[in-house]
Amino acid sequence: MEKFQLKMKVNGRTVTVAVEPGLRLLDVLRDVLHLTGTKEGCGEGECGACSVILDGELVDSCLVLAPQAHGKEVVTIEGISREGELDALQRAFLTAGAVQCGYCTPGMILAAKALLSRNPNPGRQEIARGISGNLCRCTGYAKIVKAVELAAAELQQKEGAAGV
Amino acid sequence: MLNLSAYHQPKSLPEALALLGSSGRALRPLAGGTDLVPALTKGETEPLGLVDLSRIPELRGISRVDNQIRIGSLSTFGEIENSPLLLAVPLLREAAAAVGSPQIRSQGTIGGNIANASPAADTVTALAALDAVARLESAAGSRSVQVSELLCGVGQTKLLPGEVIKEILFQVPPQGSRSGFVKLGRRKALAIARMNLALVITFEAGRISRARVALGAVGPNPSRRPALELVLLGQEPSRTLIDEFAMAASKEVGQMLGTRPSVSYKREAVKGIARDLLQRLFFGAGQVVG
Repeated sequence: MEKFQLKMKVNGRTVTVAVEPGLRLLDVLRDVLHLTGTKEGCGEGECGACSVILDGELVDSCLVLAPQAHGKEVVTIEGISREGELDALQRAFLTAGAVQCGYCTPGMILAAKALLSRNPNPGRQEIARGISGNLCRCTGYAKIVKAVELAAAELQQKEGAAGV
Repeated sequence: MLNLSAYHQPKSLPEALALLGSSGRALRPLAGGTDLVPALTKGETEPLGLVDLSRIPELRGISRVDNQIRIGSLSTFGEIENSPLLLAVPLLREAAAAVGSPQIRSQGTIGGNIANASPAADTVTALAALDAVARLESAAGSRSVQVSELLCGVGQTKLLPGEVIKEILFQVPPQGSRSGFVKLGRRKALAIARMNLALVITFEAGRISRARVALGAVGPNPSRRPALELVLLGQEPSRTLIDEFAMAASKEVGQMLGTRPSVSYKREAVKGIARDLLQRLFFGAGQVVG
């Protein structure tokens, strides 16, 4: 059938690609745009490995058909570092040792990013709820929660300093 | 990849209705996609054409006029959970907050929750307790149906070919009402409800003057339970009343499930969620499950 002219902003850059409308956003990101940081886990919205931020909202990119992202803005794990400098969350994950096999990490970091953009100072319960759609089979989550707390504290401090 | 026969992204409701109306059942409406996309990917649903409803402004937004609330069918669970206009209906906000995960709540919609007709649909239990009405539109015209009457079995609705849920309407419960929703799942996130319960209780001079009780995941579709409403009606809130209600709920669940294997578990479990929720509504305390 006729291809769909998909135009969206990915990590700040406008892309236009002709795609089969049955492709999922996940497939376009990985196989067409070669942004392979986004992982496929369960393919049915249970594990969160494919999480991306779509128009400011955290979504599972395996549940979004590519045309549903038309005209929208997508942020993937490749898009959160700036000018080669890691995002506060990426640094905090390293510091806290919150990465083991690493498969869940891109989705986990984007879930945390979406949480902090809405709630810059979350409590433990709020962090747990914010990452409740992301499964990690290695870490036991304690270090991930710690990492999100670290990043939140750093961002708070920066904001405090900027306010002075 | 899905092998779709067509994909349309209409920008207005009349355009969508014309497409759906002329297609028989060859085209299917697509809302958030959180259920339909994986079902299509896994081949559980016959490949067909889709009409993506996400660009239709008439299907969006939450508003209130006097005591009537209108929720556009494409409103997401996240929008419902966070809408200040819905502070008057905690049961619906709590039901939306209990759905899936942050990812599912930012994508899944209330209209999809109804049209999908899952026995465990969390917001549908709350809508049943609110006596909510769905306004349906098709190329042939519009009609309004009680949400609970629109559902007629697991995955089955009385939606006609070419018909789309445009919006959900309900009255804010009367002054002096308290409401809440409780869900029992195997874990907190991403769990399909094993059972859920929504209550609206109105107090007048210390007594319950109006009660709405709805149960979900007990039987094919969520529904109001008049027998349980009668237990509360005219009574003063008390520990004894909570016990009586829990026992009655257990009996009701037993009758609804008959000889189903889950009956012995659910007959016990409903007592726990009933106690939790009533305690919270009567005395403002008690653990909230989910």
